Amino acid sequence: MDFPHLHMLLNHFPIIGTIFGVGLFILSLIVKAGDVRRASLIVFVAMALLTIPAFMTGVGAHEKMAQDASIPNTLILRHEGAAELAIWFMEITGILSMIALWQSARGAQPPTRTTAAILAFALITTGLMARTGNTGGEIRHVEVRIAPEGTAIEAMLARFEPSPSKFTRLMIASKWWWAFMMDLHFIGLVLLIGTIGMLNLRVLGFVKQIPIGTLNQLVPWGLAGIGINAVTGMLAFIGMPTFYSHDIAFVLKIIAILLAATAMGLFYLTDAFRTCEALGSGQDAPLRAKLIAGTSLVLWFAVIVLGRYIQPLQDSIPR
Amino acid sequence: MVVPPFLNDLEQSGLSVWLRESPSVFGFYFILLFHTIGLALVVGPNVAIDLRLLGFAPEIPLPPLKSWFNLMWLGLAINVVSGIFLVLAYPSKAFTNPDFYLKLTLVGFAIWNLRRMKTRVFDDATLNDTGMLIKGRTLAIWSLVLWAGVITAGRLLAYTCNYLVYGVPC
Repeated sequence: MDFPHLHMLLNHFPIIGTIFGVGLFILSLIVKAGDVRRASLIVFVAMALLTIPAFMTGVGAHEKMAQDASIPNTLILRHEGAAELAIWFMEITGILSMIALWQSARGAQPPTRTTAAILAFALITTGLMARTGNTGGEIRHVEVRIAPEGTAIEAMLARFEPSPSKFTRLMIASKWWWAFMMDLHFIGLVLLIGTIGMLNLRVLGFVKQIPIGTLNQLVPWGLAGIGINAVTGMLAFIGMPTFYSHDIAFVLKIIAILLAATAMGLFYLTDAFRTCEALGSGQDAPLRAKLIAGTSLVLWFAVIVLGRYIQPLQDSIPR
Repeated sequence: MVVPPFLNDLEQSGLSVWLRESPSVFGFYFILLFHTIGLALVVGPNVAIDLRLLGFAPEIPLPPLKSWFNLMWLGLAINVVSGIFLVLAYPSKAFTNPDFYLKLTLVGFAIWNLRRMKTRVFDDATLNDTGMLIKGRTLAIWSLVLWAGVITAGRLLAYTCNYLVYGVPC
């Protein structure tokens, strides 16, 4: 298993999953089913997460492809440009969906403007992901290649797509910009550990006088920290793509992040959170909730450990 | 700039050389890792308390938050120890960088501020919730400002230096 394999394995999710999510979302608006809507929002968040490794494995796939002289580099770069536009819309859709999930946690309807924004961003994402998939397919599939920008819509989209090399150069042009991004990355870390980390510690039994449901009110700050770190992390990745993709600590860090997000999903979407929320001051959380919280805490600290070891473990994955 | 020679002696000591040059995963980056974990343990809970004192998450009961200070003191202890080791690894680099002194100054103020928050807000049994919020507000704002400054000055240490080691300008 190498990067091209992983890229092929992952890259269909953002395209098909987003279409699937949009279908569910529109269905939920027609039949006015809150459960269906929540399901579609969960799909969007999951796709926003899976898009991250799909995007990152593309760097390794590119390097492998570049060894084949019969593949025009311009096609690879066009696909990368399309991806570098699509991911931001995907991530915004995911963040908006997370907000809507939060707002509808107690069966309440999220505000109309959140719903409208999600629909708009999800539809744009679907289009941009289709374009990304199409340009990606044309790298290898000679038989489906038509003119460089086949349709008027594609030609229009292409004007908004960044040049991958220019985007990379922009990120590393100034060390102060880089330092600023890393500064924000640490502030995001502090927000995450201070809120979500402390909630997990409380579930495990630390300072039980504080009811879990009240600590939960700080979690949006932790989610904001995760958001800050997702954006600054992805910008850093675009700044030094081959540095990060050949680093075992980085690869494991991304896996740990996806697992931590899964643990968080398990906590909030199963009855673990509801049972914890009902607990008052001094009451002990059920074992199942403790297991999830403990796993979550270990994973977030693993993310910190692995992040710290990115630098000394550079080039730990052979080029 | 004249760099005091004792920094060179310190830098040539066995521990300093090992910290700087050891390829072991328990070398420099291990210390740096602890410094980051300590940061998360001090500043993380403190930011949560600051937010509560500023009126967010109003249902969190204030008095039990006092117990979180123990976790913060632990984080602080980890960072004092790991910080000393980090300076030992690159003493000339640290002591010739103005940003290092800025960071230490900010750390000093941040800890002083944290102590005041503990004694004036959480140790004062005569205060009710409203009283704690009134007394804590300014301290909470300073806490956020100072820790953001500490993190920024600390991050900048990775991007600024006058000497990497004794006699070797950056």
